[in-house]
Amino acid sequence: MDGRLSANWKVHGLSVEGYRHRRSGVPCQDAWAHAVSDTSVVLAVADGAGSRSRSDEGSRLAVELATHRFARLAGRPCPPGEAAHALLTNAFHEVCKEFLRRTGGAAYDFATTLTVVVLTPDWLGHLSVGDGFVVLRAGRTPDGDRLFHLLPQPAAVSEYSNETVFLTSPEAEDRVSTDCVCDDGVDGVLLSTDGLAQAALSGRPPVPNASFASAVLRPLDSPGTDPGKDEDDLATLLRSDRLTALNADDKTLLRAVRT
Amino acid sequence: MSDERHPETLPASYEDIEFDNNAQRLPLVLCLDTSSSMAGVPMEMLNKALQDWTRELHDDVSLSYSVEVAVVTFGGQGVTVWRGAQPLPPQASVSPFVPAYAFQAPVLTAAGVTLLTEALELALRIVAARKTELRTSGLQYYRPQICLVTDGLPTDGTGHLTNAWQRLVPVLTNDQAARRYRLYAIGVGNISDMGAQVLEALAPEFNARLHGFPFRELLQMMSNSINAERRGAGEEIQAKIFADFRTQRSAWDA
Repeated sequence: MDGRLSANWKVHGLSVEGYRHRRSGVPCQDAWAHAVSDTSVVLAVADGAGSRSRSDEGSRLAVELATHRFARLAGRPCPPGEAAHALLTNAFHEVCKEFLRRTGGAAYDFATTLTVVVLTPDWLGHLSVGDGFVVLRAGRTPDGDRLFHLLPQPAAVSEYSNETVFLTSPEAEDRVSTDCVCDDGVDGVLLSTDGLAQAALSGRPPVPNASFASAVLRPLDSPGTDPGKDEDDLATLLRSDRLTALNADDKTLLRAVRT
Repeated sequence: MSDERHPETLPASYEDIEFDNNAQRLPLVLCLDTSSSMAGVPMEMLNKALQDWTRELHDDVSLSYSVEVAVVTFGGQGVTVWRGAQPLPPQASVSPFVPAYAFQAPVLTAAGVTLLTEALELALRIVAARKTELRTSGLQYYRPQICLVTDGLPTDGTGHLTNAWQRLVPVLTNDQAARRYRLYAIGVGNISDMGAQVLEALAPEFNARLHGFPFRELLQMMSNSINAERRGAGEEIQAKIFADFRTQRSAWDA
């Protein structure tokens, strides 16, 4: 990864409300944000807890704080490896502290997951608390097909898929996972909340559904003549009955491709 | 599972995506009393409510692919497990759980004894077996729900009252503490004080004694509870949904 990162990555994000929220008029509780500078690109998605009253505000606050804090720390030179892990952990600590300061005694009502990717010239950092996930595109099969890789997710908290850890959970700092990837071949990144887990991943242990990852990165690699139609099509896909049948939650897709 | 059906609403630019049938599952067991005391109007109301609820499930895109329904009845000469509208032979190896979009309600008839204990034990076994199947298949799932409905007291195979149900209490207590499923125990009709006490002992958190036979409202409450479960609702919210249901029923009955 060389040169000015702001010129090297094209980023697009979209959140749509899930079927149940659409029917009951509840706002989308997912959020995404990104921050681009000459030294880093920070991508963040968050999934507000469905059962908490202000989780839509919580997810927005989480991605806003994350893009700001992670970008600020990633603005300084940092080697890959342990130093990068420490950077991610420190930035997360700052996000948690500020999140709790701003939400005060009502933090419980703002509960949200948070998944962050930091792209720097030398490494890719990943931090996640909760059940968001990240898929990277890097390399090809011998037949020339693109390869996709799921970054490790934090361990599940129970056998039930609807139970997870939030930024505001007492155990959040123990349950957070970080990764540092050094691979110049990474040229596509997908971040998502768990609303797309069944569409984007398959099998046990889960691996990326290559047909899904390929399809949703395609409009960024090769945009149509009408960017509005590209976005409408993606929104239609995310709201489709086919995806609702797999998971009726809110859905978020934050994509980045190297240009 | 067979009977796969998928809504096709993808935009043309995404038609090449291949999806697995890997929706998160929520196993639901309806464990229903079909003993002789349910004969007549109560059974007609139960069958009608099951038909209506089935139609609502089919129409609900989000529930129809994640909820899996199995029915266990206790009446006649024993306990019957149903796969949709079809009773399964004893020792059948096929799973009784049917995805909600393919579920057809059985048409039940009332007669015979009240083998509640054996029916609930069977419900626990099929839930445990289904969880194992889902895990083996790599499918994620929510906490299963079991809804026991009765208007009487547990009997043995000869129709005599029995305390055999007491052997279930420590099992259920342990399972509930381990959150293996959520058990609802609902008394309907003219269930006696003693009958209500049995249900309270079996399901201390989620038991109710309802006047009449409000099966439709009961099944709607189960759907509400399932939706809340899928949103990640905790115990306090499930307790509130159930408390609201009980309170509402009291208001209707007043």
